Order: sequence, then C-alpha cells, then structure tokens
Amino acid sequence: MDKIARIDMGAAGGPKVTVGDLGVYAGLGGRAMTSLVVAAEVHPLAHPLGAENKLVISPGMLSGTTGSMTGRLSVGCKSPLTGTIKESNAGGQAAQVLARLGYAAVILEGKPEGDDLYKIVINKDGIHVTVDNSLKLMDNYPLIEKLRKEYGDKVAYMSIGSAGERKLLAASIACTDPELRPTRHCGRGGVGAVMGAKRVKAIIIDDAGCKMRPPKDPDAYRDANRKFVEGLRKHPVTGEGLPAYGTNVLTNVLNEAGGYPSYNFKGGQFAGSNNLSGETQAALEIERGGTATHGCHRGCVIQCSGVYNDKDGHYLTKQPEYETVWSHGGHCGIDDLDTVAHLDFLDDNIGVDTIEMGVTIGVAMDAGIIEFGDKAGAIRLVEEVQKGTPLGRVLGSGAAITGKVFGVERVPVVKDQALPAYDPRAVQGIGVTYATTTQGADHTAGYAIATNILKVGGDVDPLKTEGQIELSRNLQIATAAIDSTGMCLFIAFAIMDQPETFQALLDMLGSFHGITMTGDDVVALGKKVLSAERDFNTRAGFTKHHDRLPRFFYNEPIAPHNQTFMMKDEELDEVFNW
Amino acid sequence: MNKTPAARLHLSLQADQLGAFFPLLQKGVEVEAHVGCTLDTLLSQQWGIAPEYAAERITTIFLDSRPVDSLATAVIRADSVLALSGAMPGLVGATMRRGGYYAAMREGISYRDTAANASDRIAPVRVKLFNLLLPELGAGFLQRGITLSASELALFISGRSDSFWQGCRSALLDDIPLVPPSSLRTKPFPTDSTIRLSVTFSSP
Repeated sequence: MDKIARIDMGAAGGPKVTVGDLGVYAGLGGRAMTSLVVAAEVHPLAHPLGAENKLVISPGMLSGTTGSMTGRLSVGCKSPLTGTIKESNAGGQAAQVLARLGYAAVILEGKPEGDDLYKIVINKDGIHVTVDNSLKLMDNYPLIEKLRKEYGDKVAYMSIGSAGERKLLAASIACTDPELRPTRHCGRGGVGAVMGAKRVKAIIIDDAGCKMRPPKDPDAYRDANRKFVEGLRKHPVTGEGLPAYGTNVLTNVLNEAGGYPSYNFKGGQFAGSNNLSGETQAALEIERGGTATHGCHRGCVIQCSGVYNDKDGHYLTKQPEYETVWSHGGHCGIDDLDTVAHLDFLDDNIGVDTIEMGVTIGVAMDAGIIEFGDKAGAIRLVEEVQKGTPLGRVLGSGAAITGKVFGVERVPVVKDQALPAYDPRAVQGIGVTYATTTQGADHTAGYAIATNILKVGGDVDPLKTEGQIELSRNLQIATAAIDSTGMCLFIAFAIMDQPETFQALLDMLGSFHGITMTGDDVVALGKKVLSAERDFNTRAGFTKHHDRLPRFFYNEPIAPHNQTFMMKDEELDEVFNW
Repeated sequence: MNKTPAARLHLSLQADQLGAFFPLLQKGVEVEAHVGCTLDTLLSQQWGIAPEYAAERITTIFLDSRPVDSLATAVIRADSVLALSGAMPGLVGATMRRGGYYAAMREGISYRDTAANASDRIAPVRVKLFNLLLPELGAGFLQRGITLSASELALFISGRSDSFWQGCRSALLDDIPLVPPSSLRTKPFPTDSTIRLSVTFSSP
C-alpha cells in the first residue's frame, strides 16, 4: 500500500482522479489513516454533507496479506449524524482487494453539481469514474445483482442504498461478502449519507492481476500468522462460542445480567429473550438449511457469521448480529427471529445502520406511532424509510431526530448516536465509554480487551470502581490501535487471555513491515489516533458537556438491579487526561 | 412452581435428540438441590461437575441475575436462579466473566453475599444453561430430572416433530410404558400440576 488516490467529485469538467504517494500518512492504515486525514484536511466546522467534507476509505495495515482476520475496512469523515469525527468499519472483501491494488486510502473529495450519479471502478489499470444514472434509488441487493452482470463475481463492491442517496443520517456503506451479498456495513454515523452527498453510488474494486502484499520477512510473517491462528482456534470464545452461535450468544447472558435494555431502555430484561438468543438462532439456521458458521471475508478463522433462511429454506439475510437482534428485538418488545431477520434484510438493502434503525423504531414506539411488540408495524416503518416518505426520512435520520420530532424524552443517544445493546446502568464501565468516546455512543470504541497485557497507562487495579475510568481510557486506546491494523476486533479475546497470541500479533505487524513492534508502539498509535480525533471534535465545538449520557440514565433506576448510572461528571472528564 | 409433581415421566432417547431440550434448558428448569451450600459444593458434590471443568468451561455464572466471581463464597438458596455459561465475546461478555480483569466494570451488580440465613435443606432451584454448556451439561441435568409445569411440558411435547418420536425408544409415565411414546401428545395433565421429567440418552 504505497499510494493514496484522491477523487475530486466536484472538479470542473467532471470528477478528477489524482494518485500520489503516502507523504505524511506513510505507514498508516484503517482508523489511523481515516482519522488523521480527516483531522488534518477537513474543516471541523464543515457541513458533513458539503463539499468540504471528505470520505476516506482505508484498508488496515495488514489487509491484503495472507494474514488471518485482516479484512476490516475503515471509512472516515465528519459524521452527519454526530457532527464529530467518524470512523466506521466493516468486514467483507473490499479491504483485502483494495489493499492488494496498493491503495492505502481512497479519498472522495468535493461534491458534484447536478443530479448525476456516479460509479467508480478501481483496478490495476487505474481509477475510472463514470456517470450511471440507471442505478438511481436502487437498493443494495438489486444494485449488486445489476453490477455483477457488468463486472462479474471476482471483484468486491461497496455501495449505498436508497438511504444513502437520500442522505439520511442513519445511512450505511455496504461491502460485499465472499458470496457477493451486500451484508457487511460501515454502519455507524451516517457515512452512507456522505457517500450519497458526493453522488457516488458504487465502487467496484477489481484486483485481477494483483498479488498478495509481500511481507518484509516472509518466513517470520508466516510463522507469526500460524501461531496467531492457533491461538484463535484454541480459545473458547474465538474457537468455539463465536463459530457456533455468533455474537448473538450474548442475548441470554446480557438478559440474565439485567443489562439487556428492553422497551426503549425501560427494563433490563426481556421475557422473550430465549426466543431471540444465539442458541435459538443457530438451531433455526441449521434446521432451515442455512449455516451458523460463516466468515464475512476470506481469511477469517473465527467465522462468527451465518446464513439465515426463511421458513421455506430460501436465503433471507446473513445471520443478524447481537446488536441487531437486540435493537429490532427486545428493544422494541419483539421476540420473533423471523421478524428481526426480515428487518435486518431491509436495513442491509436500504443501507441503514441496524443499531440506529432499531433504536429509532423503539423511540417511535415510545412516541406511540406503533405499539411495542408490533412486528408488522416495525416492518412497515422501515419500509417507510425505503419509500422515502416524510415519516421515513425522519426515521431514517436516527433516534435523536425522531425523538425531537415526536417529543420523546427517553432518547438513548450520546452525541446523537444511538446506544448499543448494553445498559450502562447495569454495566457502568461501558457507560463511561459510551459517554466519552470520540465517535458518539459506540460499544466497539472500547472493545479491545487486551489492556491487561498492553499495560496501557500502567497497571490498574480493576477491582476498584475508580479503575473504570482508567479501564475505559485504556480500552479506547487499544481499540483505536487495533482498528488501524485491519484486524477484526474479535481477536481481542484470544490476545487478552493468551500472551503468546498477542505476541504473535505484534510479530505479524513487525515482520510484515520489517520493524520490531512492541506493546508500547501499539499504545502510542492508539493515543495518536485518539488525540487527533479529540482535537478535531474540540475544534468542531464539542466540549466535556457532550461527554455525558442522557439524563434518564441518571434519574431512572432500571430493573432488576434498580441502579442508575453513577459515574460523576468529573470522573468522566478524566478519561482523556493522559 | 415449587409443588409436589403430579406425575413422573421418563423418556429414553437417542443422543441426537438432546438439542430438542435446549430451549427449555436455556429458559430455565426447576431441579431439586441441597441448598445452603456454596456453589462449588453444589456443582462438584451434588451435580458431579469436576472443579477443573467448572474452572475452565463454566466461566460465567449468574446467581439471581448477579454475576458471581467466587464459587467458594456464593451460596445457593431455595428458589435461587442459577445460570451457567461459557466464556462470552465482547467487552461486556468479558466483564461478566468470573473474577475477570474487567469485573470492576459491572461492580454494581456483582454478587455479594454471605452464608447468613441460608438454611440447609432440600429445595427447588431454577437452573439455566447457555451456549457451549447446553450440549456439555444438558444431558446430566435431564438424567437427574427436572420439574416442568403441565403447560411447559404440553408446549414441549406439541412442538416435537415425527423424527423426535422416531428417536424415542420408550416413555414411562409413573413407570407405566406408553405405547407408542408419541401417544404423550394426547395425554392430558392437570393444568396447574407439575411433572417430574427425566431423560436418558443412548447412541443410535
């Protein structure tokens, strides 16, 4: 990855492509690349849907290699949903293919005049941007089917559905999986709306004629990757739990803990959780001829995804993840997996974030638009988004907008981004991350649970409540670093418990780039990314007062533990004091 | 429930039918236990679960919805709800882990108790099994016996396909054989009664 492509969509005479060297961004990938470019090049007060914003697409530092789990793609911009800097990442094939073509980043800049819609083809011969108005308002599944007829099956596709074209704030960018289904999404923060604002409908990435990226030390890289894979396979989470049940294995556990938000965060448990659990879901998928074990990109050894078929055994959607099953399920009082799967398909097809969409439907239920538990009503509301009706445009703009339009007080957002599936009153520590992350409420912002090995910021006594501030800080630093590698965050379990697996990861990074990589280097990278993101947000007008949870988390105890969120403001303000 | 079972039902099934009970087991079933003891005593001495297995595989435990850190101090009581799980993904999954590094993040809901006022007697306990522990521990609980309400049993029986009954070698209701076993589908049980169900599994 030795070049950066800049595509000025607003250039006089039509989009203009410039390919240059890495310059100050040498050695970066993934979130490090997207955030440092946005922080340096986007005016912090720019309108997110305007010409000044940039959409940065970057494979991870190890993407495009023979290394396992290296297929995450980062997309960054100023978020139209939160107004903050944003990095949203996804699996699928795009990162591997783009990296093999040598691009450390593809940056969409400017904004075209007029109403033309563009597609971008990236291959070994260069980058070609052409008008294709036949794609207008197509949703992702039919869009990809149409593109496949022209570009075939040996490419990767990135695309937006109708939500992105309409610049809805919940809009996502889809990346195709190995079966060329548009199932893996850069979901959070409305990145799809930014792509839509630049009038780019699809990016076709073709690595024909390209080879795997060669490591500086092939033997050492191969050996490190082997040890890394062994570590993933022998760990009970990455080697057994996730392959068997996927992330939805969390439903039963979170519900049992009283940390499963139900009925728009009014309860901490849901009576129908067993009907939604990963165990139930996996059994149903297998019974219907689908699969509960499937990788979202080639080279994945964890295989936490699956294929969800309908009652007749026909493909309906990919295996909905825990957060999706929660947002469209218990959060809305719905305990039917077929309904959730249908909604997951609609979300992927329209191109909206499943967390934002589900949480928004729950807020709409709280507003009385439909009743909690109304399965057909929930589907109807998402179809309103697809049709682009006035109601659909409100809902497609997320929970915060919907709450304001309908006068709902209980709106679970931070920096206008919907909270994921873990109630911060039961798990106070994750509330610290929700409140303080640079991204708006995001469970993956502090996810890289390897801080005990990294010793980020020195040793912490985790058995003290005060340690939660340090834990959240350290988790966010570690996550920012992992997000830059292109590695799937689920590797975190194995590297937390198995020092030799963490060392194997460091050795992969080191042998690939011909350097010696230590835990301190990883920490430094994470801090560098977070510092740039915080600085951007500060210049965009965000203060410590935005690093708070909505007041109802402080005022409304949640059953069964009858707890409120108890972290003090001054404690939250310490998270980024390093 | 907590009432004397009105009937005893024993099923003898092929091993591949175990999965049919997973929905019941994850929702929770009532079992009898000697309460007033610590969880490590309950698991190892009453249920025959090896301490090594408990340490390596039962890494997440909830007692009355509170994550447990120490089996040696948590005390089981009459009518307690005990949920057993393998290691969980995600940051929050890691926080729920027994004695885990991130336990502080859920400190407010962690199990805190002493043995005070824990009476020593036989009493019902509700057990839930999740994820990897379903196939590994499910058969043992079913073999020892579980108590279901009549409605739970009726729902379970009505949901079984023909293949389940083909894999059912025998059914004994209060020690009397039901022939064929699928005739259970038409067997009425008093609506407010409970039934003691035990199941043995054998290779096909």
